[in-house]
Amino acid sequence: MTDRLLTGLRALNRGVAVLIGIMLLACAGFVLLDIILRQVGSSFGGTDEVSGYVMAIATSWGMGYAMLELGHVRIDILRSRAGPKGRSLFDLASLMIMAGTVSVIALRCWPVVERSISNMSRANTALETPLWLVQLPWFAGWVWFALMAWLTFVTALLMVLQGRFDAAEAAIGVFAEEEAFQ
Amino acid sequence: MIAYVSVGLLALLSLSIPVGIVLFLLGFGVDTFFSPFPLIKGLGQMVWSSSNSATLIAIPFFVLLGEILVRSGVAARTYEALDRWVSWLPGGLVHANVATSTMFSAISGSSVATAATVATVAMPQAERLGYDPKLFSGAIAAGGTLGIMIPPSINLIVYGFLTQSSIPQLFLAGLLPGILLAVGFIVITVIICLVRPDLGGERRIFPLSQMLGALVHLLPIIFLFTMIIGTIYKGWATPTEAAAVGVAVAFVIAGFASGISFKMISDSLLGTIKVTSMIMLVVIGASFLNFTLSSAGIGRELKEFLEGLGLSPLAFILVVVMIYVVLGFFIETLSLMVVTIPIIVPLVVAQGYDPIWFGILMIVLIEMALITPPVGLNLYVVQGARKSGKMSDVMIGSIPFVCVMLIMAAALIAFPQLALYLPGALN
Repeated sequence: MTDRLLTGLRALNRGVAVLIGIMLLACAGFVLLDIILRQVGSSFGGTDEVSGYVMAIATSWGMGYAMLELGHVRIDILRSRAGPKGRSLFDLASLMIMAGTVSVIALRCWPVVERSISNMSRANTALETPLWLVQLPWFAGWVWFALMAWLTFVTALLMVLQGRFDAAEAAIGVFAEEEAFQ
Repeated sequence: MIAYVSVGLLALLSLSIPVGIVLFLLGFGVDTFFSPFPLIKGLGQMVWSSSNSATLIAIPFFVLLGEILVRSGVAARTYEALDRWVSWLPGGLVHANVATSTMFSAISGSSVATAATVATVAMPQAERLGYDPKLFSGAIAAGGTLGIMIPPSINLIVYGFLTQSSIPQLFLAGLLPGILLAVGFIVITVIICLVRPDLGGERRIFPLSQMLGALVHLLPIIFLFTMIIGTIYKGWATPTEAAAVGVAVAFVIAGFASGISFKMISDSLLGTIKVTSMIMLVVIGASFLNFTLSSAGIGRELKEFLEGLGLSPLAFILVVVMIYVVLGFFIETLSLMVVTIPIIVPLVVAQGYDPIWFGILMIVLIEMALITPPVGLNLYVVQGARKSGKMSDVMIGSIPFVCVMLIMAAALIAFPQLALYLPGALN
């Protein structure tokens, strides 16, 4: 069951990552078009603003994918000296602290959205974007990240309790550094 | 507070908690113990404002550009072409490693991506032609570090973002030191191979017709570099927008070189999201820590600390260099940069140093951190591409190049104009 859950989480987040990748591509295309338009004396205006929103949303939604692919950098000095049980303790503790911290971040992001909704704030720009429109999906990304972190933690905890240290390490260990950046 | 942050940082990092999360935790700690008012209320706003950034979107764009090129086979052809031009030097193909790294640095913003690209195409040649694995792999690990010095550079974008410095100026400032480092790598290889010819493998001289014929394979990279850097300095595009131009050009090049498939695009996008999220968690964490530290009055505390030390500016900068060399052994590079910027840069600027100049000095030191064990990402990247042999080979092979970097750092301190001449001249 734990393996299926993990595979499911990974597949789901890979889908999310491809979607935000496509959003980034679209943004690159939009920027490119604007550069060309500016050469002929016209412009959409506001590409900077839109790029910022895209970056904020891509960032929050990509975090869960990076976590499941063991992309977030961890320093392996003490951990690598421990045995399999010790390593899984390091991994579980670190993931629990991560899940807790991300939950705090997600909770603290809500007031930002709430204020934008209650004040109906608009960006101080030509586009006058209603801020909640972009902050809501950004906030949802952090909630998603927190949710993914807790689900992964529970999955890995079950694996460790079953004595499957190798499986747990593959799920939440430290990525071999040479592969982390290819 | 300084002691708390420094000790806390090392302790939490060594527990293998993700670096970005460690920065948030330290921020929570500063808030709890050192601030008279609750800073955590600003957390959401900090997370929003540090990720809602048109500057930082250059990071995924530059990563994506590299991902596309790696998958298009352009790297292998560039390597072959440069081999024909530089393999007559004592050291032979080792120079092709440095030259290819230098060229890729001019289109890649990342050292690790540069080292990975060159290692993948170069390693099979080393075994076939009987090179000493130490020098050969050390040259790739070191050459790859140029990726963050020669523009474009993700690390310089992050530095500019966190210190509010001009990114185009930082890019210009990195150009000359980057080229000098590449020349330094070539010179040290020639010297080593004159003393120990057995390390360098066979020197090969290609007929002029083949050399000229190979030039066409350098065109994609030169074209891409011209498009990225040209649009920035023509004033047509900001560094961010130029990155978007780079992505488009990379697609065109890949289309001509090997065709574009759906799988290639989705693999490139996935790689991009993973690397970008990793970088951004660290950057957002650092922004929050920055915010808590400055709100809790670290500026005043640092000033008192410094005045208490009574160091001259030169002695001070030497201490800073020492700190980076030591930390560089243990901390991954972007993290090292991001966690130290809030503490070190204000101090350095207070001593009267130019933040652009210090950015470049910091990059040299960060490059060194990339190839010094036990935590040196490029060493692992190159070892990963070798698939056999000992890790220590790569480490030993990198030592001569670490020496070149130390000389470069000393030269930057002695002659700040190495970094500041170009930004000044073109201003």
